[in-house]
Amino acid sequence: MEKYILPKSELAEYVNKLKKEYEIFGPVSKDNKYVFQSIEDPQDLRLEYDTTILPPKKYFHSPEQIMMEFSGIADSVQEKEPVGKRLLIGVHPCDVNAILSLDKVFLNTYSDPYYKELRENTIIIANNCTQPCKDGFCASFKTGPGIENGFDLALTDIGPKYVITVGSEKGKELAKGFDLADEKETALEKKTINDCLNNITRWIDDVDNIANFLHANFEHEVWMETKEECLACGACTTACPTCYCFAVKDMVELCLEKGQRTRVWDSCMFYEFSRVALDHVFMADRTSRIKQRIYHKLAYTKQQFDVLGCVGCGRCVGICLKNIDPVKIISRIREVPCVPQDPCIYNPQQKSVVDNHNPWLTEKAVIKAVKKITPDVNTYTFKFTSPNMKDYSFENGTYNMISIFGVGESPISISSSEEEKDTFDHTVRVVGNVTSALGKLHVGDIVGIRGPYGHGWPMEEMKGKNVLIIAGGIGLAPLRGVIKSIERNRDQYGRLEILYGSKIPESMLFTDEYGDWQKMPDTQLLLTVDCVGDNDDWKENIGVVTKLCDKITCSTENTIVLACGPDVMMKYVVAKMLKLGFKPNQVFVSLERRMGCGMKKCGNCHLGPVFVCQDGPVFRYSDIMNLPGGVF
Amino acid sequence: MGKPKVAFFKLSSCAGCQLSALNIEPILLDVLGVIDIRYFVMAKRENHGGPYDIGFVEGAVTSPRELEELKKIREECSVVVAMGTCACFGGIPSIKNFCGMTQKQIEAKVYTELWDIKSMPVYGIDYYIDVDYYLRGCPIDKNEYLILIKSLLKGINPLFRFHSVCNECILKENVCLLIHRKKACMGSVTASGCGALCTSLGRECEGCRGPASDCNAESLAEVFTKELGLSKADVARKFLKYAGNTPEFSKGVGHYEHY
Repeated sequence: MEKYILPKSELAEYVNKLKKEYEIFGPVSKDNKYVFQSIEDPQDLRLEYDTTILPPKKYFHSPEQIMMEFSGIADSVQEKEPVGKRLLIGVHPCDVNAILSLDKVFLNTYSDPYYKELRENTIIIANNCTQPCKDGFCASFKTGPGIENGFDLALTDIGPKYVITVGSEKGKELAKGFDLADEKETALEKKTINDCLNNITRWIDDVDNIANFLHANFEHEVWMETKEECLACGACTTACPTCYCFAVKDMVELCLEKGQRTRVWDSCMFYEFSRVALDHVFMADRTSRIKQRIYHKLAYTKQQFDVLGCVGCGRCVGICLKNIDPVKIISRIREVPCVPQDPCIYNPQQKSVVDNHNPWLTEKAVIKAVKKITPDVNTYTFKFTSPNMKDYSFENGTYNMISIFGVGESPISISSSEEEKDTFDHTVRVVGNVTSALGKLHVGDIVGIRGPYGHGWPMEEMKGKNVLIIAGGIGLAPLRGVIKSIERNRDQYGRLEILYGSKIPESMLFTDEYGDWQKMPDTQLLLTVDCVGDNDDWKENIGVVTKLCDKITCSTENTIVLACGPDVMMKYVVAKMLKLGFKPNQVFVSLERRMGCGMKKCGNCHLGPVFVCQDGPVFRYSDIMNLPGGVF
Repeated sequence: MGKPKVAFFKLSSCAGCQLSALNIEPILLDVLGVIDIRYFVMAKRENHGGPYDIGFVEGAVTSPRELEELKKIREECSVVVAMGTCACFGGIPSIKNFCGMTQKQIEAKVYTELWDIKSMPVYGIDYYIDVDYYLRGCPIDKNEYLILIKSLLKGINPLFRFHSVCNECILKENVCLLIHRKKACMGSVTASGCGALCTSLGRECEGCRGPASDCNAESLAEVFTKELGLSKADVARKFLKYAGNTPEFSKGVGHYEHY
């Protein structure tokens, strides 16, 4: 790499020159700490800074990003000035590496247009560290003190001057006119960075095997100790340069018709992070959230995106009132580790979707029919209004994000069969804001839909095999498509058994279709309810759905089990299936989580290293059974 | 549906929350365009009786007379909103619950003419009636007030998220008052929504918005005593100031009994 020299006395002049073309951001001092800010006067620049309160990720993944404006039922990307040319100066190597991590999250699959625009218009001038900062442990991950890649130019302070390293073509342009560095100067640069490296005292050892190590120590007592300390304030994640999770919300004006959909930084440390309708919270226990953060940083991100989730900048340590420190936690575990296990590291099946559309925009779909299924469940038949959507297709078991602008967006599974091409159904129970708003809609009303997302039921694998469907409550909806597909191609599948349980007889779904299902050859439909009223004329079983499992006649060989229902039901169903002799790779489950994007970005749906939104919602049980902390 | 009929009621309080509901000049007329304020003694000369669609109740219940009033409010309003920390948790008036005196002693300490004084221990209004929504803060946050109005008009739940003030504070890139200024800041256990108003001005959070979700008051109390050297009594007063009635903040008080 080419190296040049910039005398410190000429830095201000150089920055002033850059200012003519770029908006410059760099570290300035604020109350004895440092923050990245727009630079008006180059004298304000503090390139000798240790660390900043917020990382420079704020210039790429905005703390509050307006994604679109809506008016009534239509959405449009906000018309605004395009992002001008920007230049970040003085970014430490850890933060540059963090931006490279964010790139994978935001640009890989379903490329995010807002991040992309900000990223592409920003030049990065990195700033190699010449002395260790108080809390940093970057050397563990080789993300510091010197920078290897990801920059346009990199500065190294060697006393009276900076050595400038060129890292890109753009950087080459920017370095025009500088004198080349001589051997003595490059040697001094190397020595400066090496000295810094040798002075770093904080390390996480053996980061290459940290995933296995953490996996084995999931139940270590350090986590309970940390729970007692942790204030769940979320400062660690807000200050983290690689944390990307966000929440999506609709803000309306007082007229209630117009508004904006925005995303704001969210944190897995917040109780509400995984909250869904009816105030159900998937990560309610603080211990589980602490583990989610530390595991995600040190292990899961690597599994998910093949990049570092932690760059060792140390901000989370410096900002924590209780000094909760990943370095100390790891060394604390290393003192007395749990018994090593033979770990199974989760490997998601990748599904990369790259297109040039803004993946956040919805397509208008009109309600063609509404059918009341139970007092609080309706089936809506939708059809896209745009002729461009005539090729829309989906797999059984996948879901769409349904938008009611001004209320929000919810993931809802598709309840019709993948073979019906013209229209598609969603069976929705009224529980939260979006589903309540849906419940008030009529034939002819229009909603916004984007999708389908995720992996569905294994229709191909099921061919020639018996199919055992076990569903509870509203969980029958994503399985209805499977039943309908089997009905259409009955000869392609073996025996079909459907076990369906519901709270009360009145809350059973699709009762008018049972007759057709039972008429299929070699098919058994078993029903059960938790309880019946005195006046109910109920002739089927009473009890939980696992009770029906004793009536299964499918052999344990050559059968695929599909299960969908509340987590607690599936926990017992899966256990029962395994007890009956089915193998974990024969069992498929569909999981539910809070989802804000459907595209592996917002992080709300995390189940350990799993993005339920894209890796699922349908999982082969053997793929996820060994997750740290289990599934259910 | 026409404009919802709205009423503002005041129990024991400073009236600051009602004032905040009016102190939104740039959009006050817009708000009046979408709601019909039928009862608001502070702001209107002509007030009308119930029933109302939405009732905003400011203040805590400190006397039997107020309790009767509150029960009537519940009967008259389809939606009851606890407006401000006094109505939500008891607020400043609830300090008297923890001073270790009987009601009679408290009355005698405050008033000279005692013949018509009947007071009770102070609680937030949901101690006595069902409350549909809560607007926390001393005073309420105007933005949150507007979000609630818009949500009620749309018929949705505003889904407020009460994570800690720290998050909003660090988003403003404030230097941590507790870590770097050694001030006894309550931000880490206090519900956000205020936009880190006080801490952005260099004043430590007083905890006026009550406990954050999953708040860990014991852990913060430990920081106050061990690292800042506060006495147990001082720590107790910190947690009792606005929301001492809540189980979350009483954990911060610990076993200390003489405040």
